[in-house]
Amino acid sequence: MLTADKKKSIKTISEQAEAGKLRRLLRFTTACWKLNLAGAMEFRFSFLLTVGTMIANNIVWIIFWGMYFERFPVLNGWTMQDVMMMWAAAAGGFGIMSIFFGNATRLANLIVTGQLDVFLSQPKPVLLNVLISRMSVSAIGDLVFAIFIFVGFGDVSLFGTLKFALALLLSTMIFIFFCVLAGCLSFWLGNTEGLSFQLFNALLTFATYPTGIFKGFGRIVLFTVIPAGFISSMPVSLIREVDLPFLYGASATAAVLCLAGILLFYRGLSRYTSGNMMGLRR
Amino acid sequence: MISLSKPAKYVFIGKITLRSQLAYVADFIIRSLFLILILYIFMQLWQTTYSGVGSSSINGFTFKQMMWYLVFTESMVLATPSLCTRIEEEVKSGDVAFKLIRPVNFITFHYVEYMSEVAIRFIINLLLGSAIGLLLVGPPPVGNGLVWLPLLTLGGFTVNFMLGMLVALSSFWVEETRGLEFVYNKILFTVGGMLMPLELFPDTLQKAGHWMPFQTIVYFPARTAVSMHHGEIASMLALQGLWAALVGSVIWLVYRKGVRKLNVNGG
Repeated sequence: MLTADKKKSIKTISEQAEAGKLRRLLRFTTACWKLNLAGAMEFRFSFLLTVGTMIANNIVWIIFWGMYFERFPVLNGWTMQDVMMMWAAAAGGFGIMSIFFGNATRLANLIVTGQLDVFLSQPKPVLLNVLISRMSVSAIGDLVFAIFIFVGFGDVSLFGTLKFALALLLSTMIFIFFCVLAGCLSFWLGNTEGLSFQLFNALLTFATYPTGIFKGFGRIVLFTVIPAGFISSMPVSLIREVDLPFLYGASATAAVLCLAGILLFYRGLSRYTSGNMMGLRR
Repeated sequence: MISLSKPAKYVFIGKITLRSQLAYVADFIIRSLFLILILYIFMQLWQTTYSGVGSSSINGFTFKQMMWYLVFTESMVLATPSLCTRIEEEVKSGDVAFKLIRPVNFITFHYVEYMSEVAIRFIINLLLGSAIGLLLVGPPPVGNGLVWLPLLTLGGFTVNFMLGMLVALSSFWVEETRGLEFVYNKILFTVGGMLMPLELFPDTLQKAGHWMPFQTIVYFPARTAVSMHHGEIASMLALQGLWAALVGSVIWLVYRKGVRKLNVNGG
């Protein structure tokens, strides 16, 4: 017969098991990231070349905007510093997504080619396992670039750094779960690799141009269908000064995208049909 | 040199590439949607800029000229296939061994393939871009410049192939070359005048730009099409020819050196 004390102790054991599960999940995630990085570092020269060229690639955009602002000092209220911080938020968010959740942009391909089989057979949360199992080496260059830009053009005080960290968090969430949603279309529509890529490309492209240049219908699209406006507005509505309605809107959008992405993925998973591809993960 | 003595085979290579490209027109049109997106963004950017400046012309370019300039430059750049991806894959998979023993010149083979592919893609992009241009800003400024567009475009794509091939040949030495191609493309975007005409650059960069081969690729054809300056065509064509010959010679030297060094696994 169970006493109240015994009941209490059972409950405690269960709670400990949950805590242990979370700890194991965290250990699994970090181990996966470490292995991805070790794999990327295997070819040291290629690694450095890829990271370096990505930084150089982004610097070219600074040159373009530098030339632009030398000729036209202000663009509808946006200054060179705002545009640089917009690049820091966009490149940083994209970089974090591609480094730590590198399969987000490849989800449609994994679904249509039946490559989810190997993840389904492992006792780990499928979406998390899929997302973290790949790392984009070139994206390390994007993140390093974002940090350099922040140090060079941003407010590096404690409050300024916290605001930038929040901007990166929101930007990363929007990137990851928008890509997950776009990739999940493959569960219902078949091969949507092209469409998913176009949607991601649209988000990334719009996120790197000042929101101030868009008017009318284009502006509505940027804050609804393709939520790039929440990323590109960060410099003026969060980093320069905190605009609370914007912050609430951006946080709500990131949360809704996150929930919708997870829900849609697991709904879609019930429609997933396996391929005959043999896969192995160690 | 023996391989160059029979140009007919290159004509056939070109025809085969054209046919295979025509099979994927629908796919390419879908991928060209990015052109619509980028033209829309640039229209918004320059519209805001012109209204901010409060003038109908910036450095001799009206808003309409600027938009059509971008239609031509973007159509050209987005039509360009990635030579690095191609050569790098050939080296990594070992397929390059088959290419090298064929009785065709390796560089000429890739040039013919590249130009045939570019021809189809450029026409599709130009049609799509022109439709957007017509819809957003009206017809292009009609002038003699449009007549010279095909010839200058041919020259521009040739110089672009030469520079692209020079970067791609580095895959004979290093494993990853796409990063270098990324950087080359971005130089073309800025110093090459894809994002804005050289006239809008700061003086020093403008002068430097005129001494580099990048201006001959998209700036020459697009500037001529929207705002032709009389007496410049001959010098533009001569410069394109000069850079093509110069970079072509360097390619030949690099290729000869690289092919001796190359170790192929598989194939």
